Amino acid sequence: MAGDNKRPQSKPTGADKTVLKALGLSGGIFGACPCAVDVKDGKIIRIRPLHWDSEYDPKTFNPWKITKNGKTLEPLYKAVPAPWSLAYKKRAYSPNRIKYPLKRVDWDPNGAPGSVGPGGRNTQNRGKSKYVRISWDEAATIIANEIKRIHKEYGPLAILVQGDGHGECKMVHAPHGCSTLLLDKMGGFTQQVRNPDSWEGWYWGSRHIWGKGLVGMMNPADNIVNDVIQHSDMVVVWGGDPETTPWGFRGQFASRLLYFWTEVGIKQVYICPDLNYAAAIHADKWIPILPNTDAALQLAIIYIWITEDTYDKEYVATHTVGFDKIKAYVLGEEDGIPKTPKWASEKCGVPVWTIKALARDWAKKTVTIGHYFGGGMARGPYSHEPARLEVVILGMQGLGKPGVHQAQIAYTGMPKNVITGGADHMGPFANLTATPYGERLLKPHRGTPTAWGKQMIPKTMIEEAIKKGKVEFWGTGGHEEPTADQYKKYTYPIPKEEGGTEIHMMWTDTPCRVTCWNCGSDVMEAMRDPKIECIVAQHPWLENDVLSADIILPTNTTLEVNDISPCIREGDSFQSVILMNRAIEPIGESRSDYEAVCAVAEKLGMLEAVTDGFSEQELIRGTYEGMKFDTVVPWEEFKEKQYCVLPVAPDWEKYPAGLYNFWKDPEANPLPTPTGKLEFWSESLEKAFPDDEERPPIPKWIEKGITHDERISSKRAKAYPLLLMSNHGRWRTHAQCDDIPWTREALTGKVRGFDGYLYEPCWMHPSVAEPRGIKTGDIVKVYNERGAVLCGALVWERIMPGVVSVDHGARADFIIPYTLDRGGAINVIAPEGLTSRHAAGQATSGYLVEVEKVTMGQMEEWMRQYPEAFTREYDPASGLRFNAWIEEER
Amino acid sequence: MGKKVFIIDVGKCNGCYCCQIVCKDEHVGNDWTPIAKPQPEVGQFWLELTERVRGTVPKVKVSYRPHLCMHCDDAPCMAACKVEGALYKRGDGLVIIDPLKCTGCKACVDLCPYGVIYFNEDLNLAQKCTGCAHLLDDGWSEPRCADACPTLALKMYDEDDPEAQALIAKAQVWMPELKDKVKPRVYYLNIPKRFIAGTLYDPVEEEVIIGAKATLKAADGSVLTTETDSYGDFWFEGIEPGVYDLELTYGGKSKSFAGLDTTEVEINLGDIPLT
Repeated sequence: MAGDNKRPQSKPTGADKTVLKALGLSGGIFGACPCAVDVKDGKIIRIRPLHWDSEYDPKTFNPWKITKNGKTLEPLYKAVPAPWSLAYKKRAYSPNRIKYPLKRVDWDPNGAPGSVGPGGRNTQNRGKSKYVRISWDEAATIIANEIKRIHKEYGPLAILVQGDGHGECKMVHAPHGCSTLLLDKMGGFTQQVRNPDSWEGWYWGSRHIWGKGLVGMMNPADNIVNDVIQHSDMVVVWGGDPETTPWGFRGQFASRLLYFWTEVGIKQVYICPDLNYAAAIHADKWIPILPNTDAALQLAIIYIWITEDTYDKEYVATHTVGFDKIKAYVLGEEDGIPKTPKWASEKCGVPVWTIKALARDWAKKTVTIGHYFGGGMARGPYSHEPARLEVVILGMQGLGKPGVHQAQIAYTGMPKNVITGGADHMGPFANLTATPYGERLLKPHRGTPTAWGKQMIPKTMIEEAIKKGKVEFWGTGGHEEPTADQYKKYTYPIPKEEGGTEIHMMWTDTPCRVTCWNCGSDVMEAMRDPKIECIVAQHPWLENDVLSADIILPTNTTLEVNDISPCIREGDSFQSVILMNRAIEPIGESRSDYEAVCAVAEKLGMLEAVTDGFSEQELIRGTYEGMKFDTVVPWEEFKEKQYCVLPVAPDWEKYPAGLYNFWKDPEANPLPTPTGKLEFWSESLEKAFPDDEERPPIPKWIEKGITHDERISSKRAKAYPLLLMSNHGRWRTHAQCDDIPWTREALTGKVRGFDGYLYEPCWMHPSVAEPRGIKTGDIVKVYNERGAVLCGALVWERIMPGVVSVDHGARADFIIPYTLDRGGAINVIAPEGLTSRHAAGQATSGYLVEVEKVTMGQMEEWMRQYPEAFTREYDPASGLRFNAWIEEER
Repeated sequence: MGKKVFIIDVGKCNGCYCCQIVCKDEHVGNDWTPIAKPQPEVGQFWLELTERVRGTVPKVKVSYRPHLCMHCDDAPCMAACKVEGALYKRGDGLVIIDPLKCTGCKACVDLCPYGVIYFNEDLNLAQKCTGCAHLLDDGWSEPRCADACPTLALKMYDEDDPEAQALIAKAQVWMPELKDKVKPRVYYLNIPKRFIAGTLYDPVEEEVIIGAKATLKAADGSVLTTETDSYGDFWFEGIEPGVYDLELTYGGKSKSFAGLDTTEVEINLGDIPLT
């Protein structure tokens, strides 16, 4: 399928200015989805895909070309952003933008800790009380004084920085972590360590088999895009949705790849509970499976291969350790239960004959397992088990052999460019550390991949840390930390003599715990604890966790700042660097996240310390030249053209595909594991956690354990007989973009209820809906012991019986804080339990719920009991509005 | 410059909604008089992405089809319009409702057989897809929808382009019964028809049956055959809507289904035991 590159460019019709913006939403330093933003009279007219050949002769890109069976895949000369990237002006102009600094009406910074009533801090009202406008000067002064007071009273580690996550792609005005520029120079802080969300199973599981990996996934993964095309007969897309989740991180290139696979005869089998958006159009076979039961199917496949002798015995002998233990477990020698297809079928809902057919088909073919993160497969209770079994399965069929890979589809393995070459994806950023700007540029972005705070709490344990005042955990969860970190026990607080203290203040930027992480309800409840004396939030929109803050600083969007974005991750036709000049003036009194921190720093006499004296332009140019992009296009030309493309490396095909070298010669090319081999049985795990039945030394089927009881075999299933699955939203990146009117109009965007409210969709099969009297368009309550979330029913055949599906990330809109949510923030009722006892990941898919129709009578009852929840300003087009939470000016 | 046509390959439409949404990006809040005034923030779909779910668990597919103004050569809306020059066809074939001349009588809105004309209450205007004529006039070669399409499924061509001619020869129009009457300028490729599918298995051995013969007989007597694959699946995809008889045979055994009616929907026969 050749790229159709005859098409000429789009033009800035009607505009007096055009700037470029990277409108992916993975956040921070890794840009994606370059777009052209046309502006007229200070107002954005349109956003259109960047055409890379608008300023450069495409021959200079050295375009790559992949051919198979007489068909060719070539890059397009335009970016292919997601629809909400192209609709992004609606985010800048959202009616929910925070227009000016705010203070919670009943929070007085002069009040004593724990004080209630007039003049008190009234932490019990967080999430209920409204806000009043204050000036930047007042806001910055209050925050500065609180920092001084907290430092004096408890020490610097009493401030928790929530400075991590996904968000806009900005280098200088980093969307997260700018507060660390200040606090790191004032004695440190407690870091909320981001857990590798969406990678859970691989990070907490697969790493123990093949080593650190790329956040636990197969590494290296060079050139697997070409290698799969050349050598794979079949790709089994297990769990993830490569037509949806790439949208936030790269755009829609993966879609073209999936169509190309079909063109050249590569079979696509999708194993997932829902007919996700990729399965819907690309699947040659859809195998529906109950949420989070993948381990049963995997074990049965292994059983067939062992009993029918259809696996690569030689490879297993030379490249792996501990297969004998797997074999004994699978054959039932360990627990008396052979993991037969019949055993598995009851657990996972796949027919016995289909399980056998899949196992045999797989053994006959050259198969790669594909993901775009895990969908329902790698984010549930005990996700490390299916993630490890996946590596066992690949190992049993010669992992690393041409065509046999674990592929994060097009996220890795594309033809390399001349800058990133053979380096891992952090590589070119490392060059910045050699420049004077390095620390200033990279520090804010460290919060997401690195565990570097003096005192740390995993993101998934904040509420427990507050409630109990202490937690212990194994492994910080930092993306880049070594595998062995998972065996190390940490405590919060750290010892007093090291400055350890409970946290008493939170500084959060662009937070979304309530809707994107585990046990949202508990988190919000914990934030009401009087020991948290001050919560500062900085964010562009008034939503989610921000509604629990005491002081809110309005920050602005990428459209309102000058910045630069290296779009250097693989997964689009080309990599590029985008100069992101400001499109429009900041909305209201908003400032950038960086400028917001500077305002506070100034009050503390720390401005120079935070800025290092660098201007914005110096930092932008420093990024460009520090990362050596000027070896491709000199700075002046880049400045004029506003972008450059990184040419494809002439020798891109030379990199061996994936784990080819390990397959070819495991002794000379050991894996980063203690034995250098694939450790199906991990001695390190056994030593570290000898009594851990939830993450044993070999991967197993875990029916239930001390952390989770979410199987249909559970006693709880009597009251909650359905399994909920939750994936990355089609129309959002996590919590971002829930308020764009035009995506809300899509069929699967929102469902209009009888009350005119636009509800988050809940997918269910007719066999689930009919006995409950539910039809498409009904308002339904999805609930378990933890609370209830209202959704709009979509009854159809795109999901298997016994399952309901609600994607995470919808904006919370509580009727009863925090147990009844109207906004569809499903994670409010997700289990509190982490991935498992020693694995501090979130488990937010694959748990028991019930669904019931909401009648008009029930709704009227709620309206009577909780009128304030129903009288907040709301417009279906964009949802909740800023004014809903603002008290009239005094 | 020849007249414009849209050629939309539904087989490459991934349902991303970029086309529907960038149309809004262009026309909500932007005034392109004399080609078009702004459309309201929500509620109009000058290009609407339609979806159809085909089949039942686990044999389900989704098909998408962008639906827009057909820019008909014998447009019923133009015939209905009483105001001189308010609804006209340009030299490039695009049909435009002049926002300065339209009197808001709604005759065209009610009449369009494709339902693609909307009424803007606030502006008292009928509104619809303009083919982004204002952009084409400024040198764009294609409208916003085509520019945003990530798979190049949706394209605008000059109808004289040999590539376009070759595609049109294979293409179909929406509501073909109207084709000769209104002469639409939007062509579709690969709109799916119907399918009949199932999985054949041995309930005693609990195994799928591979290589069984599946014979499908249409009402007109024509016959299609296929074999069950390595999952025991057979798919007769792309069959005309109608009534069929199916026979499955393997190892001397057989199973028949008569009167399978795909006039309205696809049929998944599920897991079929062969004993």
